[in-house]
Amino acid sequence: MSSEPTTLLQGTLDLLILKSLVAGEMHGLGISRRIQQITGGTFVVKPGSLFPALHRMEDEGWISSFWGDSENNRRAKYYRLTKPGRKQLEAETKRWGRISWAIAQALEAT
Amino acid sequence: MPLFVKARSFLRNVFLFRRVEVDLDQEVYSHLEMLVEENIRAGMSPKEAQRAARIELGGIQQVKEQVREERLGSWLQSVISDCRYGIRQLRKNAGATAIMVFTLALAIGAATAIFSVVYGVLLRPLPYRDSNRIMAVFEITSKGRPSRLADPNFDDFRDQSRSFQAIAKYDSFVVSVSGASQPTRTLVASVTPDFLKVFGIQPILGRDFSSSDAKKGAAPTVIVSDGYWRQYLGSSRDLSQSHLKIDNAVFSVIGVLPAGFRYPADVDLWLAADLEGENPSRTSHNYSAAGRLRDGVTVEQANQDISAIARRIHDTSSEQGDYLLKDGMVVPLQDSITGKARSPLLVLLGAVGFLLLVACANVANLLLAQASVRGRELAIRSALGAARPRLIRQFLTEAFLLSLIGGGLGVLGASWGLTGLVALAPESLPRLDSVSINIPVLVFAFLVSTAVAASLGAFTAARATSSDPRKGLVEGGRGQAGSQGGQRVGQAIVAAQVAITLALVVGAGLLGRSLMKVLEVNPGFRIDKVVTMDVSLPWVEDPKAKASQGIFFSNLIDRLKQLPGVRKVGAASVLPMVNGGLPDGMFLLMTQNEVPKTPDGFGPLMKQKERIGIADFCVASDGYFQVLGIPLIRGRIFDERDGANAPHVAVISESLARDRWPNQDPIGHTIEFGNMDGDLRLLTIVGIVGDIHEYGLDAPARPTVYVNLFQRPRSTMTVTMLSDADTGMVTSAARGILQELNPEIPAKFGTLSQLYSASLGSRRFNVILIGFFGITALLLATAGVFGVMAYSVSRRTREIGVRVALGAGYGDVLRMILSQGLRTVFIGVAIGIAGSLALTRTVESLLFGVTATDPLTFGGVTLLLVVAALLACYIPARRATKVDPLVALRYE
Repeated sequence: MSSEPTTLLQGTLDLLILKSLVAGEMHGLGISRRIQQITGGTFVVKPGSLFPALHRMEDEGWISSFWGDSENNRRAKYYRLTKPGRKQLEAETKRWGRISWAIAQALEAT
Repeated sequence: MPLFVKARSFLRNVFLFRRVEVDLDQEVYSHLEMLVEENIRAGMSPKEAQRAARIELGGIQQVKEQVREERLGSWLQSVISDCRYGIRQLRKNAGATAIMVFTLALAIGAATAIFSVVYGVLLRPLPYRDSNRIMAVFEITSKGRPSRLADPNFDDFRDQSRSFQAIAKYDSFVVSVSGASQPTRTLVASVTPDFLKVFGIQPILGRDFSSSDAKKGAAPTVIVSDGYWRQYLGSSRDLSQSHLKIDNAVFSVIGVLPAGFRYPADVDLWLAADLEGENPSRTSHNYSAAGRLRDGVTVEQANQDISAIARRIHDTSSEQGDYLLKDGMVVPLQDSITGKARSPLLVLLGAVGFLLLVACANVANLLLAQASVRGRELAIRSALGAARPRLIRQFLTEAFLLSLIGGGLGVLGASWGLTGLVALAPESLPRLDSVSINIPVLVFAFLVSTAVAASLGAFTAARATSSDPRKGLVEGGRGQAGSQGGQRVGQAIVAAQVAITLALVVGAGLLGRSLMKVLEVNPGFRIDKVVTMDVSLPWVEDPKAKASQGIFFSNLIDRLKQLPGVRKVGAASVLPMVNGGLPDGMFLLMTQNEVPKTPDGFGPLMKQKERIGIADFCVASDGYFQVLGIPLIRGRIFDERDGANAPHVAVISESLARDRWPNQDPIGHTIEFGNMDGDLRLLTIVGIVGDIHEYGLDAPARPTVYVNLFQRPRSTMTVTMLSDADTGMVTSAARGILQELNPEIPAKFGTLSQLYSASLGSRRFNVILIGFFGITALLLATAGVFGVMAYSVSRRTREIGVRVALGAGYGDVLRMILSQGLRTVFIGVAIGIAGSLALTRTVESLLFGVTATDPLTFGGVTLLLVVAALLACYIPARRATKVDPLVALRYE
């Protein structure tokens, strides 16, 4: 795996955010770092993409937000997965599985 | 459930906007600070940490803007904020905004008002079921013009055509009706039984005509309008007791039609025409006809059908000659009703469209001037993360606000002014009752406003956002460069404005000059002090009854002569300038010995070219010539010698004498004109009188034969009185006399000057409206020139200061500014003249006595425009000469 950050595929950002929140509630920076971590540094999500996505997903009802204190006692906005969000994650995961399988098939074909 | 969540988010984003914004602001800041802390923990200095964090964040405002755009309801939110911002902008320049809104309201209002007339008269479907399937049927004369139908020709059309579900003929005329609550003069139509089926109308009470109602000897029947039923029949639901007396016959009322059905226009009673009492001539065109197309038959097929039958009649008829049809045709009834109104109304619509363009040009120029001032504001907004589409949307929003406010006010103005417009409209304009501000008109106003908004917004947005935003900041509001381009665009707009205005004012000038030329025409008769009185006695055929009607009119005239203040009294069958005019026909020159013994004997004589003449036929009394002041040119008019039993005499008009008897004296010749009134006795020509413009001042005088009322009596006459007394007094006294002579005959009174004025109505209407549009456009264009020049001078203050400092004198500066302005104006004038030369062709049919390229009008209008523009340039130019070089140079 290359250490160079890769541009995100369309639609994968939502999946990554949902996945990163499975571990528990997190603020924006935490989500960003978590994605960086779980993708082995392949994806670095900049605030310019992260915040619009978070707010859109909150509007959709997949995640909810509340204000809390950060590890350094700083007020930060936390996000957590909702019930519809879990369902969405499941659906997105299945979809992603199908796509990656299909792409793999296509690349193996002679 | 998800829908509910989304709806909640949407409402929160829209209504709790401020809270959501504060939330976002705090979130982004806390994010930034956490980034900084992270960096410090990683070992950066605080300053470095700040810098790195900001770079990673990538611009706080940009991030926030991106979030805003992702939010549910962001479009609505941004529309609201654009509107808010737009309103603030518009209020900041309240003066300019007021001018722009007023200009747009005026132009959109005028366009809406004119469109409402165009829609009501031309476009709105007739109020009948499937009205586009109703056709008017015409014969085509040997001269190629559509004409009404002769009875046997209609019968052939009805019996042989396969195109119509129902076809009917009809004719309308005024009669005196008694038997209802009071005697009335009423417009009635004589119709064949299928008439109502053509229109798809059923009586709301009683029954439709049946074919037996039209048989000879059938009991006379009448169907009444809803209005007549309510006003004169007491809304009685039992029609069996309702009878009306018309032309000495008693008609049973068999049906009442739904409210709103008045075809032909203004008819109140429909009588079943006696189909067996038809005129056997194929050249007496007494009826109009209409038919409803069978399903699946096209207008084109119906046309071919009727045309084939008509040509067959033409080829086989024994009645050859100019009055026999050559062909036949059908046109949609709506087109036949509105045909004549079409081109003047479209000209008006075009003129108001031009006004709208001129108004838009003014607003565009004002917006452009504002936009160039706003360069810095735009630069700041785009630096703060507003993308170009967002800025363009801002301009569009402002333009929409302006146009919709202007359009709304315009529609209010139009609905207020429409009453006046309809009152001003000539009587000859059909269907005025269907003109109103209705949904299609509102849609039109909205579409026009939207189109204006879109073009204004797109134009200013394109101009304002095309340059690099950084430039605006660098220049720091000096706005010198970049304004050159704006200036050129402004001048192009002004040139276009001048060109359009020129075309509009030229059009108004040509119509105005035509009206003046028409007014110069001598009508050939007196207009002032003539009171008219329409009297309709029952129609009779019996010679004795006719003679007694002659005596009735003779008595009436004698009694009226004794009224105080009344100097002369006469009567004529139709007055000049009355719609429809006199009937015309073919007469024969012959002596007593040549009169054939049987009616068939006339056929061969009508083919002898040297015998025939064509003239209008007017029944008149001797007093008529005196009342109207129609001059006797030679011979004599009617007098006591011409009693009912004396040889019948005729007086002819000058033009007939000249055309039919060139180099001869017509006096003493005898003619036969019996096809007009059924009296075959010869007429001896005893006098020649002056021509009158009976069809209006702009139509040539027509050759006319006058016969004596007391020898050739007629049931329907208009009595004319030359009176020095007050019209109201004469009217009520005359009404009393008529009442005494026959209480069942009501009269309709008027004056000749009313008829004269009505005959000019349609010209006056066009001149007033197009003149108003022209003057408004002229004012707008002058304001446009002034605006652009004033703006240019204020922009060039420094340059002018430098020039003055370097020795330019008063004259130099004045000349420089004037020449700059006039160059623009002259370009506009040149384009305008070229355009007008092409455009005035479209109004050619409305002109009288001037050509479409009348040099006087073109010259005068050009001069007017140049003078107005010169004045508009002079004020800013004078201001330029007052520039103090010291102040100007320090100014920046």
